[in-house]
Amino acid sequence: MGKKILVADDEEVIRKFLRIHLAKLGYEVKEAADGEQAMEQLGKDDFDLLICDILMPKKDGWEVIKEVKTNPKTKNIPVIVLTAKNEDSDMFKGYDLGVNYYMTKPFTKGQLLYGLKLMLGETQEAIRT
Amino acid sequence: MMEEQDRKRIILTLRWTAIIVTSYLILFGRGRVTDLQLSHLLIAGYLLSNVLLTFLPKKWFSNSKFFYPLVIFDTGIVSFGMYLSEKMTIDFYLVFFLIIIFASISRNFKLLMVIGGITALLYGVLLYSWGLLITENGSSYTLRIPFIFIMTAFYGYIVQTLTKEKHQELTISEDKYRGLFENANEGIIILRNPQWQIVDVNREVEKASGFTKEELIQKEFLDLFTPEEIEKTRDYFKEVAEKGEARADSLSLKKKDGTFLEVDLSTKRIDLGDEPFYQVIIWDLTKQRRLEKKIRESKRNLEAIFDGIRDQLSLQAPDYEILRVNKAVIENYQKTYQELIGRKCYEVYYQRSVPCERCPVSVTIETKQPASSIMKFSERNGALQIFSYPILDEKGSLLSVIEYVKDITEEQRLQEQLIQSEKLAGIGTLASGVTHEINNPLSGIIGMAEIALEEEEPSKNKEYLKDILNCAQRIGEIVKGLKSYSRAAKKEDLSPVDLNDVLEESLKMVRLAIKTTSVEVIKKFQPIEKIQANVGEVQQVFTNLINNAFQAMDGKGGKLILSTRSLKDSVEVKVSDHGMGIPQKYLSQIFDPFFTTKKPGEGTGLGLNIVYRIVTKYEATIDVESKEQVGTTFTIKFPKRRDE
Repeated sequence: MGKKILVADDEEVIRKFLRIHLAKLGYEVKEAADGEQAMEQLGKDDFDLLICDILMPKKDGWEVIKEVKTNPKTKNIPVIVLTAKNEDSDMFKGYDLGVNYYMTKPFTKGQLLYGLKLMLGETQEAIRT
Repeated sequence: MMEEQDRKRIILTLRWTAIIVTSYLILFGRGRVTDLQLSHLLIAGYLLSNVLLTFLPKKWFSNSKFFYPLVIFDTGIVSFGMYLSEKMTIDFYLVFFLIIIFASISRNFKLLMVIGGITALLYGVLLYSWGLLITENGSSYTLRIPFIFIMTAFYGYIVQTLTKEKHQELTISEDKYRGLFENANEGIIILRNPQWQIVDVNREVEKASGFTKEELIQKEFLDLFTPEEIEKTRDYFKEVAEKGEARADSLSLKKKDGTFLEVDLSTKRIDLGDEPFYQVIIWDLTKQRRLEKKIRESKRNLEAIFDGIRDQLSLQAPDYEILRVNKAVIENYQKTYQELIGRKCYEVYYQRSVPCERCPVSVTIETKQPASSIMKFSERNGALQIFSYPILDEKGSLLSVIEYVKDITEEQRLQEQLIQSEKLAGIGTLASGVTHEINNPLSGIIGMAEIALEEEEPSKNKEYLKDILNCAQRIGEIVKGLKSYSRAAKKEDLSPVDLNDVLEESLKMVRLAIKTTSVEVIKKFQPIEKIQANVGEVQQVFTNLINNAFQAMDGKGGKLILSTRSLKDSVEVKVSDHGMGIPQKYLSQIFDPFFTTKKPGEGTGLGLNIVYRIVTKYEATIDVESKEQVGTTFTIKFPKRRDE
């Protein structure tokens, strides 16, 4: 049984290729199309990693991250932000909220997998890939 | 005036009394009366005369021409009556004529009555001492005493009435003259020949000469002139004495402080009683010159201002005839002043045969109110702003119109530039939003392409390629939207524009930048007439308003309502939000340039100002309604095209 990853992004095509990539690597992927769905999933399941967009309907990424990082049950889940907001101020805001890895769109598969493995403590593997 | 009314009654009463005492005198002192019939006739005649007098109009009683015959008539009758009365003695005649004399010289009625009373008393004492009062004819003698008294009153009253009348006439005419004399704006001096002594001067003379009235009176007028001018003045007065009147120009009058007053004189003989007097009117030329100089100076100042203004100014009659132009007009049209004056403005300025359409001068001529309008000249690619101001007389009717023409070509060009640069700034703020919007599909493209490259099953690649194509098309749409936004707003680029389409496009644009999905957009578009406009500019207006609406609802959510409808003369566009609203105190400033409540770097403060500039450029109106924490509505009304 692979590690469980939650992908929260309102962009369908992005969820789709993340799903394909991660599934190939043997991870179990759950999806959320907005912030509320993400919170719902987080309540239902235990995740090893959260990949989160910022600009999402209903509840944006900042709020999701705030809730995750302030809840003792979920605060240890590593969070990767995957966003088009590429300004420094956004990145700093993310780290202040407790984001573990801040990644901006567009990105390559290599960049994504490096961050992913880093977060999951599989660094050696990441370098080899 | 009571006196006037009563005069007739008093005279009649006095006469009745006189008739009664005279009759008694005749009848009771009869004894020696030779002709009783004559006595009765006399009394009857006297009575009748008074009855006749009652029918005469009151006016007659204030006329001296009526009084004198009356007095003579009464004196005659009374004297004859006295003669008919018995034992007429010289002493009684003497007393009677004495009181007539008293009455005619006395001016004080009360004093006269006292004298009459004393006379009657003295005569009574005299008669008593002679023993006449106690004889058998005593009653006749006794009657003489009231007779004297009554006659004194009768004559006294008449004489006093006459003198009062004359006196009154004199006072009235003198008062009138005095008022004119003292209040005249010119100096007036009254002289007496032969020495030309000053008799009287008015206040104006005192003011101008520095001398007081007391100092001037009794002085010889000629002494007031300089020795060099005495001869000239003497000749002048010789002429006055001969002709009765004459004028003299530019004489120097010595003032009290030793300086001179330049004056014109006009002298005329006036008759105030027996002696001729001369009235000299003095015109202070210094005062006159000072006034003239002031007028000349203010005229020069106004001319300098008129000519000094760099913009074109012309003064026009209510029939558009040019009355005056300044240098700027002459330079601009390269015509001489004479070529412009007297011509119609539309002829010389615009080579037309009728006044120009939308000319503010026409408006001012019609309404007597200031007006202005902007005229564009495509051949010169220029624009003129024309202001017109009415000049009214005291009654409020139009004398002329000032037309002020300002070349605003440069101003308009700068405004175009400003609009353009605000648009660029807008693109800047859009950019970050657009980046996000492009980066998403771009990530999709990269991601899917990588998957496709790794995919060994070619049939699956078709699906991935479809995703890639989708993403690429989305990017294409976004870029197209941006292009329409950045399209240069060229002035000539006017075309019929459907505002519904522009609103739709603008909304799309803003949504690229702002991804707040908690906002519900409601569109209430009605079919509306196209307006003549530049699409880019109208879009700039709408994106600004929609963008503001989204920002106002940021984090709060709500409804954005876009509505359009067709009104009688205009097409209305409303942009409403349920945002934070605009505080009342800012409402009057929101269209001002550089007014912003956003943090530095977040807004230029030009957005709504540009909206306002563009809207007014299309002669449209923009209104804003806002309530804090409730929302804001902007309403724009574009005028419908007139040629449709």
